Amino acid sequence: MASTKAARIGEDVWKTRVDKVNAELVTLTYGTIVAQLCADFDADYAEVNRQLDKMGYNIGVRLIEDFLAKSGTAACANFRETAEMIAKVGFKMFLNITPPITNWSGDNKQFSLIFDENPLADFVELPDDGRAQDELWFSNILCGVIRGALEMVQLQVEAHFVSDVLRGNDTTEMRISLIRIIDDEMPPDDE
Amino acid sequence: MVVYAFYIFDRHTECIYSKKWPPPVAASTAKPRPQSTSSAATNGESAQPLTRRTNQKSDDEKLVFGVVFSLRNMCRNLGGEDNFFMNFRTNEYKLHYFETLTRLKFVMLTDTRTGNLRAALHQIWLNLYIEYVVKNPLSPAEHPGGMGVANELFERGLESFVREVLSAPS
Repeated sequence: MASTKAARIGEDVWKTRVDKVNAELVTLTYGTIVAQLCADFDADYAEVNRQLDKMGYNIGVRLIEDFLAKSGTAACANFRETAEMIAKVGFKMFLNITPPITNWSGDNKQFSLIFDENPLADFVELPDDGRAQDELWFSNILCGVIRGALEMVQLQVEAHFVSDVLRGNDTTEMRISLIRIIDDEMPPDDE
Repeated sequence: MVVYAFYIFDRHTECIYSKKWPPPVAASTAKPRPQSTSSAATNGESAQPLTRRTNQKSDDEKLVFGVVFSLRNMCRNLGGEDNFFMNFRTNEYKLHYFETLTRLKFVMLTDTRTGNLRAALHQIWLNLYIEYVVKNPLSPAEHPGGMGVANELFERGLESFVREVLSAPS
């Protein structure tokens, strides 16, 4: 039903409406950005995570328009539908992956995306300085993208990675929590 | 058909773009000649709603936003979350409305004989706003005071869209 519909839209958009670029170009470009950030902040990985998230946010607030235009979808009725759209249409459209959705919380406000494949992290080994494994979230830009994009459609969320195969975990998992639905802004009162 | 004005409002309820076209000089002239100045002298013969020019530009924007905002909320309250209005007309003009999921509001004022322009506003969003404003890396993501929206490509695109598509003699 809803989930197969999302998958179909994702497939359709990917096939007909997306300009493709070489995946390795993306991987290497992203890797270079992270490497440069690590160098610029003297391997202060907490700061690198923050910067990646910020960059992602700035991407997300623009990407959403393109996403809406290309997918031509209507508003989601609930957060579960939103999750489907992110995983099956959003990620499909921009990265050609469809991370499975799992671990819904009881109140339907939190879920996890499991990245079985992650184009950003191909060829990557984290720096072997004993800290990167514990502190750096290599693909943290994705959290920012999701946060930025959803904010523009009135959903304030929090997104972070809880595990990453690059760190030696079994899976790469991102946790996304709905904080609140943003109310429409009202025009300022005229005096 | 004749296009009188066009507005874009962002999610912060701010008018980030507005443009007015002076009404055609004579009724026989098919195409209105768009000019950027809003105060072209008009001979009072042709029926157009923009003759009472006492309002400031920003007043117009506030009034247009006010009516659109209230009407939209009324529709949602009466008909549910995904109920929206597409246009309304008075005896003088017709107002067309299109809103994206990101709460960008596109408004166009035309003469009363025009059909529904929701699709045209959708086109402007898709082919002009996204291409030239959103995807322009040097344009800011938010547009306080309309910063970054009125760039040359967008202006030119809008101009020719209105001239060639909307104002074409049918």
